[in-house]
Amino acid sequence: TAPRPFPWEPAQQAAGAGWAAPPLAAMFADGTAAGTDVESLWRSARSARCEAKSCQTGKISTVETAAQSHTCRDAGVQTDQSSDAVQDFQQEVQVDYTSLLAFLQRVEDAVIKELNKNWKSHAFDGYEVSWTDQNETVLCLHTLSYPEAQDQNLQVTGISWNATGSVVACSYGRLDDGDWSAEKSYVCTWNLDRRGLKPQRPDLVVDVPSSVMCLAFHPSRPSLIAGGLFSGELVVWDTGRTEDPVVWRTGMTDDTHTDPVYQVNWLPDGKHRSHSRLLSVSTDGKILVWREERDGRLALAEGFAIVAQQIPRSAQLKKLAWGEAAVGVTSLSFSHFDPHLFVVGVEGGYSLKCSAAAETLALPRTGSSVPLRAPAELTFSPHGGPVYSVSCSPFHNLFLSCGTDGQVHVHSLLQAQPLVSLQVSQKYLFCVRWSPVRPLVFAAASGEGNHNNRFCSTGDVHLFDFEKSSQKPALSIKQAAGERPVYCLEFNAKQTQLLAAGDAAGTVRVWQLSSAFTEQGPRELNRLEQLANETTD
Amino acid sequence: AEVEETLKRIQAHKGVIATIVINAEGIPVRTTLDNSTTVQYAGLLHQLTMKARSTVRDIDPQNELTFLRIRSKKHEIMVAPDKEYLLIVIQNPGE
Repeated sequence: TAPRPFPWEPAQQAAGAGWAAPPLAAMFADGTAAGTDVESLWRSARSARCEAKSCQTGKISTVETAAQSHTCRDAGVQTDQSSDAVQDFQQEVQVDYTSLLAFLQRVEDAVIKELNKNWKSHAFDGYEVSWTDQNETVLCLHTLSYPEAQDQNLQVTGISWNATGSVVACSYGRLDDGDWSAEKSYVCTWNLDRRGLKPQRPDLVVDVPSSVMCLAFHPSRPSLIAGGLFSGELVVWDTGRTEDPVVWRTGMTDDTHTDPVYQVNWLPDGKHRSHSRLLSVSTDGKILVWREERDGRLALAEGFAIVAQQIPRSAQLKKLAWGEAAVGVTSLSFSHFDPHLFVVGVEGGYSLKCSAAAETLALPRTGSSVPLRAPAELTFSPHGGPVYSVSCSPFHNLFLSCGTDGQVHVHSLLQAQPLVSLQVSQKYLFCVRWSPVRPLVFAAASGEGNHNNRFCSTGDVHLFDFEKSSQKPALSIKQAAGERPVYCLEFNAKQTQLLAAGDAAGTVRVWQLSSAFTEQGPRELNRLEQLANETTD
Repeated sequence: AEVEETLKRIQAHKGVIATIVINAEGIPVRTTLDNSTTVQYAGLLHQLTMKARSTVRDIDPQNELTFLRIRSKKHEIMVAPDKEYLLIVIQNPGE
């Protein structure tokens, strides 16, 4: 086809085919030129240089095998409890015998000489040093009472200090004419170490529907207190509980005492450290040991019954009427040296040495859930009236007994005749207690009885000191104005200068004793031994 | 054996309650008391003896402690000191 002519060239030159000359107006015409493509060089060059390749790992060779042990052995390793370093010191210490012997030979003579001199020396006779301020007087620290109880003419029947020695509790009841009608009574506690102690307002007052005859705080738990009631029941209160302080009670069952409970003690239980057992003593002749059950009940664990027939007779004791009746027990005290040995005081006027390990059964076989045993082993010589209180010495196997004849007998546990018989007063003696710190001191509480005041000891709490005199009291304290008998007293084992005494007027007096009564003398134990041995010959 | 004989002789003397021998470190070597009491006595008396000895020497450096006696309400404790050992005897003096 004909090539296109340039616009300014005449058409005839382009084609050469003689076409007609274009009109002159068509020399400049619009036209579009095609775009220009420039082909890329690098892309193709690049792409030309790629190659596809692939690779694959060669096959991995695997093998399955199994192994199992066919013999095995057990071995254990444990460290042994190492023995105390203290125990083996004699073997561990490398002792050079020759040097030890040489040393002993060097010093032996000097030491023997000094020992001899010391034994014969009178250099220190009567020489005493007082490190603390001596308190010379006995004074009444507190006079505590509960006015409501006093209004009802109730008397203080029992006193107890708690385990820490700062709380004193007293029970209100009646010792003179109790009756079976339920007369309300109270147990009151005061904390003497509290600031703001109000003597007329006890820290805690527990209402008890029947008359409480005796009290005992638990020896290690400061808030538990046990009480024996006129109805024969035992109740344990927890003074830490605000709503209902009653924790355990015996209730009225077949096992319960049929007479008032005159003394209650906590027994140390060897097996269960935290729980102790309760022991109650009553004039129905039974001594019962109670165990705490889960539901707040006290169940009978073991018991003893004292029957007149089974009391060992002694040739020296003639004037006793033996019958089949039960023997009313009024008080009990355990020996500090033998946990199975205890002494009971009896309405018949004598004391009995008993063993908790006795095996023979008591007659008659009463209907109690646990068989009762007869514990009596030895009968001590009698008082002229019922024995109201016995107390075993913490320092020696001696005990005291006191009764309505106004006498205190000091007995050795080994023989029936008393070592010493003291006529303390013409009135009845209601309570006697050894001092917990001074082996030669005891206190006795007196009151009522016949009023022949020939003996001039008008005081109501008598303190005896065998160091000073073995005949008359070292000190007699008048408890209350007017002739109101003192029914109970207790030394404070922790604060040893305190003695609490409760009387029939319903007041508890806390006496602070002078240092003479609280500091053990240099050879007091020896003197007590002498006293114990001198009349046994 | 001679050591035991000597100690027995001392122990058998009138009024003697206990005899203890301790070494220079205060460790008991021979004793007639139970272990816990022995250890208590040994520790306390060793310290006291050392203090007594230094007291004597501080006052007079030429002087030396030869014997120590402690008299208490209930008994008397005697200590015989030495370079390597200490002999402690506790006696209850007679009336």
